[in-house]
Amino acid sequence: MNSLLKRVAEVFTRRGPARGRITFAALFQSFQRILELNNKILELMADMGEKLGGDYVFDRQYILASCREMGTQVYELIYNFNALAPKKHPALDKVFRRVNHDIEEELAGRLVIPQSKYVLAYEDISGDFGDVVGGKNTHIAEIRNRLGLAVPEGFAITTGAFRAFFEYNHMQAPLEQILKAWEEQNLSTEEASQKITRMITSGRLPPAMLRAMDKALKQLRKKTNKSTLMLAVRSSAMGEDSEHTFAGQYLSLLNEPPQHLTRSYIMVLAGAYTALAMEYRRQKGFSEHEVAMAVACQCMINAKVSGVLYTLDPVDPTREIMTISSTWGLGAPVVAGEVTTDQLQVARQFPYPVQDMTVARKTQRLMAKPSSGCEFQPVAEELQASLSLSDAQIRKLADAARSIERYFKCPQDIEWAFDHNDQLYILQARPLNVRSGIAPVVCDIAAVTEHYPILFSNKGVIVQNGIAAGKVFVVQQDSDLDQFPNGAILVARETSPRFAKVARKASGIITDIGSSTGHMAAIAREFRIPTIVNTEVATQLLHSRQEITLDAQENVVYVGRIKELCYYGFMEEAFEESYEYRLLRRVLKKITPLNLVDPQGKNFQPEACRSFHDITRFIHEKAVEELANFNFRQGMEEEAAARKLKTDIPLDLVIIDIRDGLSHAGDGPTVTQDQVRSIPMRAFLNGLEAPGIWSRDPMSVDFSSFMSSLTRTFAAQHANPQYMGQNLAVISAHYANINLRLGYHFNMIDAYIGDQLNDNYAYFRFLGGVTDPTRRSRRARFIYETLSQSNFSVDLRGDLVIGRIKKLERTMMEKKMFLLGQLVGFTRQLDVKMTSDQQISYFTKQFEELAKIEEPLNELGRQTP
Amino acid sequence: MNIEAKTKILVLDDEPIVLKRLGPALEKAGYVVEVYSRSADAFNRIQEAEFDIVITDLKMEGLDGMQFLLEVKERSPRTEVIVITGFATMETARESYQKGVFDFLAKPFKLGDILETVKKARLKMEQTHQA
Repeated sequence: MNSLLKRVAEVFTRRGPARGRITFAALFQSFQRILELNNKILELMADMGEKLGGDYVFDRQYILASCREMGTQVYELIYNFNALAPKKHPALDKVFRRVNHDIEEELAGRLVIPQSKYVLAYEDISGDFGDVVGGKNTHIAEIRNRLGLAVPEGFAITTGAFRAFFEYNHMQAPLEQILKAWEEQNLSTEEASQKITRMITSGRLPPAMLRAMDKALKQLRKKTNKSTLMLAVRSSAMGEDSEHTFAGQYLSLLNEPPQHLTRSYIMVLAGAYTALAMEYRRQKGFSEHEVAMAVACQCMINAKVSGVLYTLDPVDPTREIMTISSTWGLGAPVVAGEVTTDQLQVARQFPYPVQDMTVARKTQRLMAKPSSGCEFQPVAEELQASLSLSDAQIRKLADAARSIERYFKCPQDIEWAFDHNDQLYILQARPLNVRSGIAPVVCDIAAVTEHYPILFSNKGVIVQNGIAAGKVFVVQQDSDLDQFPNGAILVARETSPRFAKVARKASGIITDIGSSTGHMAAIAREFRIPTIVNTEVATQLLHSRQEITLDAQENVVYVGRIKELCYYGFMEEAFEESYEYRLLRRVLKKITPLNLVDPQGKNFQPEACRSFHDITRFIHEKAVEELANFNFRQGMEEEAAARKLKTDIPLDLVIIDIRDGLSHAGDGPTVTQDQVRSIPMRAFLNGLEAPGIWSRDPMSVDFSSFMSSLTRTFAAQHANPQYMGQNLAVISAHYANINLRLGYHFNMIDAYIGDQLNDNYAYFRFLGGVTDPTRRSRRARFIYETLSQSNFSVDLRGDLVIGRIKKLERTMMEKKMFLLGQLVGFTRQLDVKMTSDQQISYFTKQFEELAKIEEPLNELGRQTP
Repeated sequence: MNIEAKTKILVLDDEPIVLKRLGPALEKAGYVVEVYSRSADAFNRIQEAEFDIVITDLKMEGLDGMQFLLEVKERSPRTEVIVITGFATMETARESYQKGVFDFLAKPFKLGDILETVKKARLKMEQTHQA
């Protein structure tokens, strides 16, 4: 390989020190290394993600070694990208150092508290903010922002504020001393707790934090439009309400006046170190350095009726019911078991009929006092024995509960309230532990599934374990994603990182093609969406609205909804509570989340990269662009060592072979098509010469002279005469960069096709034209339609069309290149014919016909509208 | 698994998560399992009881896995030893094989793999016993 590259270099050197030319071979080498590294990184990511699946036994050493390897590879990736695009994206280095530093801190046992604001409003909090605002805040914000359910308006005081409080008051060292003494059992839990609590309650808030809280309160007042704003100030520790419930371990203060927020905040912080909480952490194997208390500040809801709903019966989860406890007034005493409650059991499916109910005599209710705090009040005589919920309220509540359960993908324990205007508020939602109850059901899974017809099995590759039941939703184009229903199973021909948009809604993903190491696979793992790719048959056998059960453990797709399998999916493994599991998950949070989803999106910037995955994705996309643009920028005019391709069609094409793109190429000035070995180039040429494609219309018979007559127009249009110098292809065994001006337009194709799915891509750019802008845009729309139908991701701006496709297996990629060849040939003079909008669909159909035809049928090609 | 002849397994690994995962999985498969995270404790235990199968890590603080398995083999030659380690090199593997180890698994491994290996070790013991 090196000798060939050297040869290319020599060829260019002979021609004198033309800037840029000499580096093409080197650039290409960097590019290929980028592809290799991209693949390796995605594989390692998948490998690490797979360990969270539960199948593997891994230890801390594995996490350490994998993280270091990952860091090295991403670093090398950036290094190679910098060689390809020097000084273009300097921010990448900074992002890398930051992410790597965070990972190293995690590995060293120092919890990384994101340097975020002290205060975050609920609308600014998203799902991955758990480390910043704690579990309770995150869940509530997600329910508000993603599910659109009402929650008490409010804001979170972050874990960053928690740490800042300790630093400002110089409490970190004394805290560690006390904890050390406690851990070494030189101090009882009671004593340690008292010491820490005393210390915390004597602390003061940093001025910046006071200002931030003040501002947040002002905004909250504005938003809620309440003259008398009262607050619920509640703990929201990291890990609380997620893997671990910490139910009742920490402090919640109700009906606090805003002017006391500072005091309430400090009290909730101190609540992290009650003897009870410390013992709980010790028992659960939590490290004290993992403690980071965020706080939720919410508007107090003046509840008429409140309670708790479980989306499954924890005693007997197989019963397909939800249980509701309900009482008059505030809900706090329901959780604490201090009041009598109405008990309801309702079906899990719409319209949620009540199956059983016990109405209790409710003599007391907790109410907010006008000044502050709460008190028990007697319930009016006539209400004491009546059911506290109406039918409509039950339905509203059940509906909300089911959508929360779908969203978080496990049974939920939900605190709720209706206010006096009958508005439902979700106060809190956390996973419901039903593990023990489900275990017996699991045993006879085999017997149960026998009764359900299998749609297909053992097709494709399992990317993420799990089980999902729901209705199919077939995604054909990106815009379909906007209509994606909650809880549906996404079915598509190809995997796309754009599916990240609906990752929270999808309960499963099945695709015809795709790889287990692609970007989307990483997303599926990140969101733990049961996923099977490469089934080949999914879009043929499945249709939208069909009800199926996807078992991405045994690799089976069943007709209908199998509830037993779903319960099995609910069952979480105990190892998820281990330190190693949490550590791996935390470092993976710095590695796998993909924020740069859309290459056309505004945030597709190095500065927006937050994870190694982001960096990798950004570089992959930009490297392709860089190489594709290379010819445009540098220009590669007539070239002594380059050879002219002899073809049947009047294609004035020169080929530069940088490595193994031609077989037994002598020193002659021409090559034949048989000599072209480059996989993408061959496929493209075959498409270009496919029967019927190369229209023999009179207009293009004298192709060369026709072209030359156009050169002036082009040159004027693009101001860079080098563009028009030559039809040129730079090729290697697996690569082709093709620049063609044909008929009225300019085509650029950049493609790599090898045996590694993840390396493969084809990039198609179409530009220019001599007719009026309307006709040009018609032609562009025709190309847009055609490429879209062939599963390209297409970007259309005026008459510039950019089509991208990638990560298909070799034969599929060859087909796409063949199609591009056909398309280029077919469109080369189309805009002259494009006299009306109707013709877009006419030509689309005509082209479809042609593209299907395998035997020569020149007649069709000759048809004119 | 036959109840009267339950296979007794000792697992030694200084990484608690390995024990947390292996213990229940082996129990579910019908074995009697004892787990240790400190080699000194495991060492004391093998002085007083005999195990059918010992699963041990190689690199640990204090008494290392290699010494431990030698001790096991010396006390009870019929005990089959399975080595699990993250420092998977051919060198250590070969060395442990020479010390009479039944099999060698590199961490991370699948639960299914270790269960399979244990099953094979048990089969070998049965055959040896019958022979």
